[in-house]
Formats: sequence, structure tokens, C-alpha cells
Amino acid sequence: MRSAFVRSILNTGNTRSLMQTISSIVHGLARLMALLGGFVLVLLVLMTTASIAGRAMSSIGLAPIPGDFELVEMGMAFAVFAFLPWCQLQRGHASVEIMSNLFGNRGNAFLDLVSDLLMFLVALLITWQLGLGMLDKKSYFETSFILQWPSWWGYATALAGACVFSLVAFYCLLRSIRHVFRPHT
Amino acid sequence: MSNLAIGLWSFPILISLIFLRMPIGLAMLLVGLGGSVAINGTTLMIVAQLKHLTYGTFSSYSLSIVPLFLLMGQFATLGKLSAALFKAAEAFLGHRRGGVAMAAVGACAGFGSICGSSLATAATMGQVALPELKKYGYSNALATGTLAAGGTLGILIPPSVILVIYAILTEQNIAKLFAAAMIPGLLAALGYMLTIHVYARLFPASAGTTERVPWAQRIIIMGSTWPVFIIFMLVVGGIYLGVFTPTEAAAVGAFGTGLVAFFNRGLHWQSFTNALLATASSTAMIFFIVLGAAIFNAFLASTQLPQTLAEYVSSQGYDPWLILGLVLLLYLLLGCVMDSLSMILLTVPIFFPIMVTLDFGMSAEHFALWFGILVLIVVEVGLITPPVGLNLFVINKMAKDVPIVETFRGVTPFVFADIVRVILLVLFPGITLWLVKLLY
Repeated sequence: MRSAFVRSILNTGNTRSLMQTISSIVHGLARLMALLGGFVLVLLVLMTTASIAGRAMSSIGLAPIPGDFELVEMGMAFAVFAFLPWCQLQRGHASVEIMSNLFGNRGNAFLDLVSDLLMFLVALLITWQLGLGMLDKKSYFETSFILQWPSWWGYATALAGACVFSLVAFYCLLRSIRHVFRPHT
Repeated sequence: MSNLAIGLWSFPILISLIFLRMPIGLAMLLVGLGGSVAINGTTLMIVAQLKHLTYGTFSSYSLSIVPLFLLMGQFATLGKLSAALFKAAEAFLGHRRGGVAMAAVGACAGFGSICGSSLATAATMGQVALPELKKYGYSNALATGTLAAGGTLGILIPPSVILVIYAILTEQNIAKLFAAAMIPGLLAALGYMLTIHVYARLFPASAGTTERVPWAQRIIIMGSTWPVFIIFMLVVGGIYLGVFTPTEAAAVGAFGTGLVAFFNRGLHWQSFTNALLATASSTAMIFFIVLGAAIFNAFLASTQLPQTLAEYVSSQGYDPWLILGLVLLLYLLLGCVMDSLSMILLTVPIFFPIMVTLDFGMSAEHFALWFGILVLIVVEVGLITPPVGLNLFVINKMAKDVPIVETFRGVTPFVFADIVRVILLVLFPGITLWLVKLLY
């Protein structure tokens, strides 16, 4: 089982379809996560606009949405964590490409591998510490200021994004390992 | 090794990693982590910091303006306002020599007033204006050069994502920065138009004209751009008057452009999800760099390097203007290889404390505003300088038959215009600060 898996990553055998299956699952997952984050962002836009309208029309008995700032902060944290996997998968991170021509195909594939390995380790570190941070907040019974929502809720939603980020970063690592062995695919 | 030495050594390491194609945010994060471990002698402290640092950064209320402005720009692109703006500008300017290209610049300026991103402005205006420029016989070099340069107005004219980041890094008032950016932004648009005028005079064959449009008609065509005015006034006016926070203003702007996109039938499932995905990718890129920069800058601060450097420079009695000139030159050079946001996040925390101690004959706050606008402009020049000017590639990809070298050639006069403008703004800080002083 394990050797078949490794072989499929290196794409040396005839089990190519496994890597393709993984690829489409990871792609779908990252996309789904990014869209979820996007919907939350749109909800925050609607909520904030409604809240401003409520504040503007306080003379006729309307009011701003309570805790609107907190909701923006919580929602935004979820959205950003949910966006990370998509950016990683699409190689969306800013980098300096000016020396790329010097390194050749092999060299670039190797550099990508190193970056993707380190990114995966950083993703794991972030996810792990975020989890611990969540447990901290839970044990302190910290709540938000206005809505009195437990702070760990925000961490928990962010953790979902961070887990997918780690998963996608691992996939990207596999992708670049494969690339090192077959630089032209 | 002393802490200061560790701080100094971190730079060659960071720069090497960046030139080895490591994502910039990742490189800053790793060097920051490594440096902190080197200073503290243990991994415990910095790792424990990560428990709340990542969530804290990503849930920052003031940073949440960034994804909202990005979403606003995406919706603005879908709202088909670019076509209306271009038609209006063309009605006013098209009959002049080089007028269609000037109209493209004018439309970019208009679009820039509701969009905080250069790439989005270049991309959306390119789609509308490139075919028109071709139709009226504009040379490939002039057409692509105009649009690549015009795209930078997206950032130069507020709202502007880069200015938001600068404001957060230097703890300045976003509203005042937007006010300071206004006149230099308009000056940029005028400078580009002047460049086109001169270009068209020197090479008359490279620029055609449209029929003159009567004034009554111009006003009517102009009328179709009303959503741009409303949204701009709402967003920038709202921030200025303190009716809402910058984050709320960005949300209102995204709501407004979203409505326009919806009513102009630009918003269907496919385009909506694409807009969200594009926002997702840019947001994650920016926030990851912000996170890396936060860790790197925390490490730098603990080495006391920025402080020591600032004391050293101010005690040497160098000419402040010389240092300013060198810093701006460094930005111009860096801009040739690096994207503007990474540059700001990497350099402002180091340069700003140094620069603010130098005496330019103005208050610290005015200096911060003026320096911010200067930096904004020089890093934006990086978007249109080869070899990695992103706007050049965005436009060149659209104009499929134009070799990239021709685009490089076409943009050269605009780069020249940018440099002239920077010199003007350096010599006359009043141009930048006049509106700020008037309003506040």
C-alpha cells in the first residue's frame, strides 16, 4: 500500500490515477474552503452595511447591530485562514522570480521543494499553536466584549481553515517532490 | 554574537532566501523565528507567541479593511463601470491629439477612485480600452504603455490598499493619508496625459483621434458614470467626515460596487465565485506577508537594530535630503524585482524610524504623510519597470500580438513622468500636504 502510494507520487508506476484523485480532492477542498471564507466576507459586508444603516437611522428607532466590530474580527479571522489553502495551492504567494533563469528547471524544482517543505512545517506549527491557543482561551473562559461569545469559538473556526492549510501544504510538498523527479510534467 | 550582530546578519540571510524564490512572507517568518531563537537561546518563547499571534493578526479590525477593499475592486470590475468611464473620458478628450489614450488614463483615474488595486485597474481598463486604441490606430507601444501606467492610478488615487498597510505600520491616520494622496494622484493622471500629448506630437502616426462630441452629449454620457461618484463620495467622504471607520467604509464600498455589478448584470454564479476566489488568493498572500513581517519585525525590534540604526544615522549629521534621495532610489531599484506590498512591509519598519528622526522642517505627522506618499509612488513605479513590472505583463497578456519588448518601450516615457513627479513632490512637500492642512 505504502509503496504504491510512493510510486504514484513519483509517478513511476502505472498508479497515476491515485495522485490525480488526491489532486482533485485537495483542489475541491481548498476551493470549497476559499468560497466559504468568501461567503463569510460577503456576509460581513452586508452586516456592516446594515449596522451603519441602523446607526444612521437611530432617530426612527433603528440601532446598529450589537457587537458588529467583534463579528467583523471573528469573521475575518475565519475568512483569512480559509483563504490560505487556496493561495498555497495556486502558488499565489509573492516571491522574487528574477534569478529563476539562472537555476534551470532542476534547480527551480528543487528550490520549490525546499520552500514547500518549509511552508508545510510552518503550516503545521501555526495549526498546532492555534489549537493550543484555542485551549488556552477555553480554559480562561474568555468571552468577547459585547456579545459575550466564548473567544475560543473564533479560534475553532480558524482552526478548520488552518487544518486544511496544513493538508494542502502537504499536498503541495508531494507535488514538488514529484516535480523534482519529473521536471517537465 | 551580540543581539545587534544577529539583527544585522538576518538581512543577508533574508535577502538570499528571497532571491532563492522563497515566498517573501515565508522567508520573513522563518528568519524572524530563527533570529528569535538565536537571541533567546530557546524555541519556547517564540513558539508560545504563535498561540495568539496568528489569530490576532488575522482578526485585526484595522487590517480587515484589506480584504474588503479587494472585494470592492473585484465587484467594481464586474460592474462594467470601466466601459462607462472610458466612454465619458473619450467624449471629453477623444478629439485631441492622443486623446483616446488620454481618455484611457482619465478612465483609469476614475476607476482608481473606487478600486484600491493597480492590477485590477490595469486588467479591467485594458479589456475596455485596448480594442478602442487599436481601432483608432494607436501604436502597440503607446497603447500598452498607457494602460500599464494608467493601471498604477488604481493605487495612487485613494482608496489604496498599500496606503492602508503603510498607515497601520506607521500608526498614521488613514483618512489623512488618503487626503494627502489625492493631489499627487491627480497630478499623476495629468502627468500621464501630458506624456501622451508630447509622445503624440513627436510620433503623430502613433495616435489617432475620434470625432468631437458636442457638449450637451458629453454631459449625458458623463451621467452614466454616476455610481462611481456616489461610491467614491460615500467611501472617502464617509471616512473623512468620521461617519464611519475606514473598515466600515470599505464594507460600504464593497456593498455599493456589488449592487452596481448586480444591476448591470455582471454578477452571476460563475463571476461571483471567481471574484471571491481572486479576493481569497490576494488576501491570503497579503496576510501571510503581514504575519511574516510581524514575526520578523518583532525579532528586529528585540535586537534594537532599528533604534540603533536611527540613532547612528541621526548622530552622523548626514544631509536629510541626501538620505531621502538614497532611500527613494533604493525603492526604485527594489521595485524592479519585488512586489510593492512586500517592499513596504519589509522596509518601512526599518526606514521609517530612521527617516522620522531627520529634520525636513515639518512636524513628524506631516513628514509621515509626505514620506508615505513618496514611498507609495516609488514602489508603484516598480509595477511598470521591467523585468518584473506586473502591470506590463497583465496588459501584454491581453494585447496578444504585441511583443513584451514593445510594451517595455511604450512604458518608458511614463516611467520618466513618474520620476519627474517624485522629484517635484520631494522638492515641494506643500503639493502633498496642502489638502491635508486644508481639511484638518
